[in-house]
Formats: sequence, C-alpha cells, structure tokens
Amino acid sequence: MSNSELTWILLAIASAASLTGLLIVRRRTLALRPIPAYVVLQESAADAVESDNQIHFSMGSVAPGQASTISALTAAEIIYRLGERLAISPRPPLITFSDPLTLPLAQDTLRRAYEFRQKMQYYRSSAAAWYPQGPRALAYAAGAASLSADVDAHSNVLLGRFGIELALFGESSLRHEQVLIAHSDLPEGQAIAYVQADQVLLGEELYVGPAYMKGRPLEIGGVLAQDVLRWAVILGILIAALQAL
Amino acid sequence: MRHHRLLDFLATFTVISVGLVTLIGLLSERGSAPASIADFMVQLVTVIAAVAVLIGILNLISVHLGRFVRAEHGWPYSLVVLVVAVAVIALRILDRADIWSGELEGEQVSLRVFEAVQVSLESALAAIILFSLVYAAYRLLRHGATVWNVLFGTAAVIVLLGWIPLENLDVLGDVRDWLVRVPVSAGTRGILIGVGLGTVTVGIRVLIGQDRSYRS
Repeated sequence: MSNSELTWILLAIASAASLTGLLIVRRRTLALRPIPAYVVLQESAADAVESDNQIHFSMGSVAPGQASTISALTAAEIIYRLGERLAISPRPPLITFSDPLTLPLAQDTLRRAYEFRQKMQYYRSSAAAWYPQGPRALAYAAGAASLSADVDAHSNVLLGRFGIELALFGESSLRHEQVLIAHSDLPEGQAIAYVQADQVLLGEELYVGPAYMKGRPLEIGGVLAQDVLRWAVILGILIAALQAL
Repeated sequence: MRHHRLLDFLATFTVISVGLVTLIGLLSERGSAPASIADFMVQLVTVIAAVAVLIGILNLISVHLGRFVRAEHGWPYSLVVLVVAVAVIALRILDRADIWSGELEGEQVSLRVFEAVQVSLESALAAIILFSLVYAAYRLLRHGATVWNVLFGTAAVIVLLGWIPLENLDVLGDVRDWLVRVPVSAGTRGILIGVGLGTVTVGIRVLIGQDRSYRS
C-alpha cells in the first residue's frame, strides 16, 4: 500500500469518525475525560480577570502555512476561547511567538475576542508581540519570558512548538511565581514541560482543547475521532508486530 | 453583518478549495497537473512568508517608535532596538553594495555582526538551561514520589551517569544506550503519532470549513 493510499484511508476514517461523533453528540451528552490542564487554564483566566492581571500566551515557532499550521490554528482557537473571557478586563492578554506569519493570526484572534465582547476600546494590536528568532529560539524564549515577568503576568500558557527553550520559560515562571501551563509538539519540549510545568498538555491533548472550552458538537466529535484513530493505530501496530513474528 | 457574512463565506470558500487542491496535489504523482498546482500553492506560501517578515519588521519598528515617542516604561530599550535595527539594515545595504575593502573585502559584515551577538547570547542561554533542568528535576521529586516521577528521576540519573567516561561504568553506558534506543524512542514515537492524529482530526475540520480561526 502506497503512502498516498494510506493517507486517504486515514482521512476517510477520521472524517467518518468525526461525523459519527457529531451525530452522537447531537443525540446525547458525551462526558469527556478530565484533562487537569484545561481546568487550571480556565481557572487561571478567571483569576487573571479578578486580580486585574494579564495572561501570557506563547505560541513558540508555530505558523500558518508551515508544517505546524494545525498546531497554530488550534493554539489560536484556544487563545480565542480564553480571550473571550479575558476581554472583559481592560488589560488584554499578551501573545508572543517567533514566526512573523503568526503575527496576523495572533492579532486577529485577539481582535475577534474583543469584538465579540464589544470591548474594542481595550484591544491593543501591540499585545501580540513577535520576537524574531535566530538559529535557535533561546533568545526568543528569554525575551518573551522577560516581557511576561515585566507585565507581571498571572500565568504563562505555552501552546505550540517549543524545544529546549521551554526551560527558560519554566525558570522565569518559577522565579516570578507564575503558573506555567505548557505543551509542545516536539518531544524535547514536551519532556521539559513535564518536568517544569504546573500543568502539562501531552501530545494530542492540545488538539482537543476547543472541545473542552464550550466545545461545539463537531469539536467534541473530533475527540471521539481521535480515540478511534488511536485504537486503529494501536491495532495496526499489533497486527504488523504479529505478522513480523 | 451582511458584509461580515460575505467575507466569512469567501474565507471559508478559499480555505476549502485551496486546502483540497493542495491535499490532492501533494498525494498525486510528481509531475502531474494536481501536483504542479500544489507546488505552486506551496511556493505562494514562501512569498507570503517573505511579505510577513516585512510586515513583522514594520510592526516591530512602529511599536517601539510609539513607546519611544510616548516615553513609555522601558523606552530606552525601544531606542536601542530602533538604533540597532537601522544599523543592521544599513550594514546589509552596504554589504549588497559591496563597498568593503582591505580585510573586510568580500565579507558579509551584517551577518558577522548578527552572529557575534546572537550566537554568543544563545550559547550563554544554552549553558543556563542545564542548571534550570537539574533544579526542575529536583523540584519534581520534591513534589511527591509518584511512580512516574521516580521513574523519570532514575532514568535521568542513569543517562547522566552513563555519559561519564569511566571503565567501571560501562554497564551504565549500556543501560543508557538501551534506554535511549527502546523506551525513549518508543515514547517519542508515541507522542509524535498522537500529534499526527490530532493534526488529522483538526485538519478535517479545516477542510470542511468548520474551523473558525479565520472568520469573524
């Protein structure tokens, strides 16, 4: 079986599972398994509004149009859902990233959230800050963590693509007593997030985020699709292993 | 409202059509018409990326210029950013004009200046990371000795000890190699497969126009 045939099959299974999930969700309420990071994330947003503090979101090096497009869109959607809640405060959340392609996405995400709340007077396009990165992202991480500390952010929420530079965010969060919620779609960033973060989102947990925050039926159906695909992959691996014996 | 709906429709239509055409093209044979169209789309992204860099720089300069003019908190840093940005742009123009002579003839001075600052800075930060991670591992174990924390700590200690080049510690080196080759590799693949599956399910939502990140 060629790679393209395999991809079509995977897409067909994912589409069928998503639509089946959508139909199930429309008929009955699905109980999603709890992910502590999303509980803390929503609590942090509420705390930030009550204490008149900002939340710092960092998207790392994800960017629309690159291999990380889907991670960028999902991170933006999660920021939007939280941004809707934060928009009642005059202090807009801070969004940092290292790819210039993410600048319009981040600014538009914030703008939509403030427009939804009809609080455009609080919206600042400069709340989305681009930190150009060099050969590695360490300078970006140091700069963004420092900015987060300067504005006395309540928490640092890292959603997207981070390597070892995630350790600098962790160090700064610890030093300034900020809550750190972290995810990375790179294994090295994920490992550091596990060690340093107060709450960590593992691998595919980022992509179900919208479903956990006022999720629409199709998003909750997507969680079901992800589970179906996971079991399909597990079965595939087991069958391949048995055949190899 | 009607204006927004029209824009939303156009955005959704563009995303669905471009997404499907690119997907079909990327999964078609090289040289075929759909593959050529997909290649063109991917090239368009490169052009857009270049424009985005320009927009990013203009945004950066306007933000810092604003901070400097309004004398906001931290304005001296904004001034440094502006001066350095102008200096690097000027150096780049001089590089392109190839005006350097003597020892600097044929050199890319802007690149050398950039590397001298950036590489030194990032090397220093990389050195700090080691201490951050060791302290983080210590904090992790202090939070409570769960099975996973102990497993993580033990594996980290074995891997670190395994790097010590002592004859008597050959066994630890073998254990380290096994750890990296088998459980670490399996875990890494598990995470990457999970990310891939998540990407596919969200990708389906984007392809059928149900993603809202580009709509009002």
